[in-house]
Amino acid sequence: MRSIRGRLLFWLLSCLALAVVAAGARIYTQTLDEANQLFDYHLKQMAASLPNDSFGPLPPSRAEGPDAEEGLVVQIWDRNGLQLYFSHPGSKLPQRAELGFSTVETAHGSWRVYSALEQNNVVQIAQPMSVRQNIAAGMALRALVPLLVLLPLLGFLIWLTVGRGLRPLDQMASALGRRTPDSLDALPEGGLPVEIVPLVHALNDLLARLGRALESQKAFVADAAHELRTPLTAVQLQIQLAERARTDDERQAAFAQLKRGQARAAHLVQQLLTLARQEPGVAPQARSAVDLAQLVRLVVSEHAPLAADRNIDLGISHEDQARIFGDVEALRVMLGNLIDNAIRYTPPGGTVDVAVRLGAGTAAVEILDTGPGIPEDDRERVFDRFYRREATEASGSGLGLAIVKNIADRHRATVRLQNREPGPGLRVSVDFPLG
Amino acid sequence: MRLLLVEDDPMIGESVRKGMRQDGFAVDWVQDGRAAELALETNPYDALLLDLGLPRKAGLEVLAALRRRGNPIPVLVLTARDAVADRVKGLDAGADDYLVKPFDLEELAARIRALLRRKSGRADPVIQVGNLVLNPATHEVSLNGKPVSLSAREFGLLHSLLERPGTVLTRAQIEEKLYGWDHEVGSNTVEVYVHALRRKLGANVIRNVRGVGYMVPKQT
Repeated sequence: MRSIRGRLLFWLLSCLALAVVAAGARIYTQTLDEANQLFDYHLKQMAASLPNDSFGPLPPSRAEGPDAEEGLVVQIWDRNGLQLYFSHPGSKLPQRAELGFSTVETAHGSWRVYSALEQNNVVQIAQPMSVRQNIAAGMALRALVPLLVLLPLLGFLIWLTVGRGLRPLDQMASALGRRTPDSLDALPEGGLPVEIVPLVHALNDLLARLGRALESQKAFVADAAHELRTPLTAVQLQIQLAERARTDDERQAAFAQLKRGQARAAHLVQQLLTLARQEPGVAPQARSAVDLAQLVRLVVSEHAPLAADRNIDLGISHEDQARIFGDVEALRVMLGNLIDNAIRYTPPGGTVDVAVRLGAGTAAVEILDTGPGIPEDDRERVFDRFYRREATEASGSGLGLAIVKNIADRHRATVRLQNREPGPGLRVSVDFPLG
Repeated sequence: MRLLLVEDDPMIGESVRKGMRQDGFAVDWVQDGRAAELALETNPYDALLLDLGLPRKAGLEVLAALRRRGNPIPVLVLTARDAVADRVKGLDAGADDYLVKPFDLEELAARIRALLRRKSGRADPVIQVGNLVLNPATHEVSLNGKPVSLSAREFGLLHSLLERPGTVLTRAQIEEKLYGWDHEVGSNTVEVYVHALRRKLGANVIRNVRGVGYMVPKQT
């Protein structure tokens, strides 16, 4: 049963029915108890009031009279056990009985029997228990029937009340249903039942987070479109210069420029894609145990040609064995970006050292270069998307460190930038928490 | 005509400089706002091509400061920011024209010519002095209706003189208009070009004002 209304109706009615039955049972036992006391007293009184000398059969009318209702059967014996009187000769009752009260089981149900010695005769009065039980059952039924008749009406009222109680949910649903994807303002929390407030609160929280994510996505797309204009402008101008070229040499030079411009635009698009893939919650994360030292060896060897090209001594200076849990492809991109940066910003003849170090609770990858370093003021901003430091020769996409930051955040790692003492040079340290 | 190009992106700067040189302009190129201000203080330019997203000093600040100092140089803003609000901001800060990246070299050259034309108070794109007609867009010169073939430098020199007939330009001024920073200027180059022009157009077209410079006389 999926509906709250239906479920409430079912359980409330079930509980009510159960309560009615329990009350009936209680009324029955209580009434039976009282009837027992009353009738026992009645039996006693009757035994005492029977005429001592009446040993002749009573007229049938008498026997059928009031006794029929109460089901009383009277037997009288004299001292010698001779039956003097039996009101219902057909009844199968014990011929002799103990004096006082007793309950006798017969083939026709149980009987309550009272025997007393009245002068010279033994008087026994018996009554079927069913009489008493019928009275108790009747009593219980009379009390319960109105309640049982009322159950459907109660059900109807419960149905209405629950529906009314759930109306705020309906209102909220229709308010949400009318929304456009852009309207992410919070739902009003005032005037709501306390049971629904936490739901609305959580929903508002989600809306706020969605709003922020949407805003940052919009800003990202706008930034990206804007940033793409620069390489595209360069390409367009280079194409025109190639068109204008009059000699083969000029044309060749122009096409060489054009290729560089195209490569730069392609690089930017690639970086944008990488960044988009590394946005939290975009792609499912393939996580596995990663051997940091092995990964560093791989990335360093990938960058060896670039380093050789720029006459930079790239190598691994220290290597502890460290295993972390993470997305190996993303980590490769991150370390690649950092090593690439180090190579690009280091003047020819410089050194780039990469190290894997185990610390207390952390595993760190360190990249040390002999480039110009980064002034303190810029060290936070370099992680911003499209932020390029002024007066730097290398023309990057401005996305490399933003990608690094995203990947580090996803691995709960911190990226620290420090200028080397003594300089010049930059020390980049990525600290991964262990365990 | 000498232009100052302020553009921080090396590829775009390189290409614009090359393209505008092919169109006969002398182009100096700087890559940040401070360098732009320095260049503007030390050299006379006919027009400024200004990118807005510049390091060290933003393009709009450079522009505003320029106008505060009362410098009337024609300014063409080159930028990737194409929102209407951005354009309005740029024009309000004192830009004469606004070109959104990516742009076309031909269009850039045409807009520069339009700016220079307006600066010299002409509406007609073709300059005519007497029988001499010069078209800055097509680089064509004709005398008495007959086309005359000129080299790029010769054309530049004639263009400078025809911009303001009756005004004497000193040799230094002419050199500044013809050459960017990275060109070696020979000691008698201007004379060589004047000589060539006189040979092609007639001796009286360009007058020598002794000890001062050269001019094209106003035709009444």
